[in-house]
Amino acid sequence: MTISLLAYLLIPLFSAVLIQFTSRYKKNLADIIANITLFAGFLNISHLIFNTAKTAKFSLPPMAQDTFTLLMIFMIYMVALAVSSFSSGFLTEEKNRHHFHSLILVSVSAMCGIVTAGDFFTLYIFVEALAITSLALIAFDKSKKGLKGAIKYFFLNFSGSLFILLAMAILLFTIGTFSFAGIQHLTDPAYGGHWPFQVVAAIILLLSGFLIKSGIFPFHIQTVAAKQGAYSPVSAFMAGTVTKIAGVYAVIKIAIIFNFFDLKLHEISETLMLIGAISILFGAAFAMRQKDFKKMLAYSSISQTGYIILAAGLATPLALLGAIFHIFNHASFKTILFLNEAGLKKNLNTSDMEKMGGLARSMPWTSWSFVIAFMSAAGLPPLSGFWSKFIIIIALWQGGAKGYAMMAIGASVLTLIHFIILQRKVFFGKISAIAKNAQEMPLPMLAPIIVLCIVILVSGILFPYFYACLIETGIKAIL
Amino acid sequence: MTYHLALFILIIILALAAVMAKNMLFSALILSLVSVGVSLILFTFASPWAAVFELSVCAGLITALFISVINLMPKEKKLLNESRLKFTLLPVVLLIMAVISWIYIVPFFEYLSKHPHLSIHNYPLGQIIWKDRVFDLIGQICIFAAGVFAIKSLFARSINEQKSHKSQVTGHKF
Amino acid sequence: MTNIFSIDWYFISLLFFIGLSCILISKNMFKQLIGLEIMSKACLLAVILSGAATNNVNLAQAIAISMILIEAIVITVGLSILIKIYKTTGSLDLRKLL
Repeated sequence: MTISLLAYLLIPLFSAVLIQFTSRYKKNLADIIANITLFAGFLNISHLIFNTAKTAKFSLPPMAQDTFTLLMIFMIYMVALAVSSFSSGFLTEEKNRHHFHSLILVSVSAMCGIVTAGDFFTLYIFVEALAITSLALIAFDKSKKGLKGAIKYFFLNFSGSLFILLAMAILLFTIGTFSFAGIQHLTDPAYGGHWPFQVVAAIILLLSGFLIKSGIFPFHIQTVAAKQGAYSPVSAFMAGTVTKIAGVYAVIKIAIIFNFFDLKLHEISETLMLIGAISILFGAAFAMRQKDFKKMLAYSSISQTGYIILAAGLATPLALLGAIFHIFNHASFKTILFLNEAGLKKNLNTSDMEKMGGLARSMPWTSWSFVIAFMSAAGLPPLSGFWSKFIIIIALWQGGAKGYAMMAIGASVLTLIHFIILQRKVFFGKISAIAKNAQEMPLPMLAPIIVLCIVILVSGILFPYFYACLIETGIKAIL
Repeated sequence: MTYHLALFILIIILALAAVMAKNMLFSALILSLVSVGVSLILFTFASPWAAVFELSVCAGLITALFISVINLMPKEKKLLNESRLKFTLLPVVLLIMAVISWIYIVPFFEYLSKHPHLSIHNYPLGQIIWKDRVFDLIGQICIFAAGVFAIKSLFARSINEQKSHKSQVTGHKF
Repeated sequence: MTNIFSIDWYFISLLFFIGLSCILISKNMFKQLIGLEIMSKACLLAVILSGAATNNVNLAQAIAISMILIEAIVITVGLSILIKIYKTTGSLDLRKLL
């Protein structure tokens, strides 16, 4: 952990407090401060991510830093900037905009804390902070649906965190440490390299806690309810980063530090893979059946999370690399999809897919960015989503899980089909009554979508370059 | 040691009473007694600082919060009207759980305490808080800010509410 | 002779179970919050117990103090959502919110 990484955590926190004091009467000031803070951070991290050697050598004790962390911070700032810029156009009638931006900034700082944490307790503190802010964001519009989503989120999440605490206590009792470095030290073959089954119990508790937070198949109720109830930019934020950082990041981290592949933990790793596979199929199948645009996107998000969990369960270096990359790609395309949905909802006042149709003529930018995003989600070749899915499938094939590899390809086709159906219903086809009056989104709302599309295209086409530059140097070191 | 175990049995009985209570106020008060019991147990583990925090924050502050929320409700809402059958079954289920976990959990941790763990230097508390776990303090600032903003935004008035409030006021006038 | 720590773990697991079953059984949000409190008490005891068992009480105390503060903030936020829901629906019943 370097001092510059600490700044990614502290500056948004400071801006959040600043917004509260300055923008009570001038609401636009809140937009400006939040966007400037996030934009500055985004520029800074995108410079840093290609010059990892330049970081200073100051460190606080329980922290960690590697390329995985930097990539995650880049992703957090990217999505937060997109959402904050979009909502300054979206929430024009909302009187409490300064609260909204404060909450977004605090959750950015909490997420940076999560990805830089060096032990399970620090991780736990920041996860709780993140849960509180996202709770307030879900209940932000104060509708009945939003409150319902918030209370479900509250009880599931905080009981999940107590599982994590209990697991931490067992780890402290058994091996005397819960820091990542200490555990990794113990996985060395020199120390025997074989866990007693109490540690296995602790790992199961930890995984169940984090899987509850990631909103995957058996626990999908909370995320679906939350995403349905909240404002649409909030749903984009939740689907893109919050559930990924609070849950899935920690699952990957556990897979790395407990060394799932080398040690004799294959029961856990197989269970994790099974959960991932079930949620891929479940999410894809349920997404096909939805009539509501947003609900469909929420189920499709469960399916994409399944890929990451599947790869994390396999835990070969290649699979972990694919999982990390898929988190990043999922953040970019799912944010576009949810933001497009938000734009449509603001324009048309409905999110029922049956009522839409023929919107491509009146909203060309929205329509084509949607095409790029769903092609990336389905994993079509030139786009970035293709590469991560490709890596995951190859890793599955090499790791001996050929059935899962075939299933992943099949589910990918299923994703493509349901997005094509959606595209035909909403954007192409007959021009419906509401489509005639529809207008293109204003520039502050459109700009983040276009930028994210460019990110998808560039990181897809130049993928081999990024692979060499980023992955070979950094991520190899942590595996 | 008997004192220690008696405290444990006491807090389990109190917790069961808090869960099964019909009245919210009674439930909150019993919960504060559970906190007192927990802090007494913490004293027996030679950890006075945690015990004092538990006593003042959990038994004091949180109980005060619970009671002030209960006082916002009208009197008839303070009783919990839901089916009692599940709650009367709870002690039976707990008894079954107790037998099962006596068979499984005790040998489990029995084996565990013999397992070798890392050698640890037991540094003084101040050094651990201020040197080894500084990042936790930043995390606490973060969670504090999160809590403050969350509560502020939850109770801030939104447009919909304001509109309905205005129409109520004007309706009253005319 | 059974170790004292394993008997303590036994009681802690029972306490955790009581809290969890309260969250699962009850449909009243206030009762669920009390269940959450009981669960977090069990976790607090577990952490301190592990610290005492491994001769590392001070680390456990440092963690426990942070845990208590976090618990207080979480309960405060939970209660404020509860008040908000009570104001909008006039009830604390989860089933009426659906």
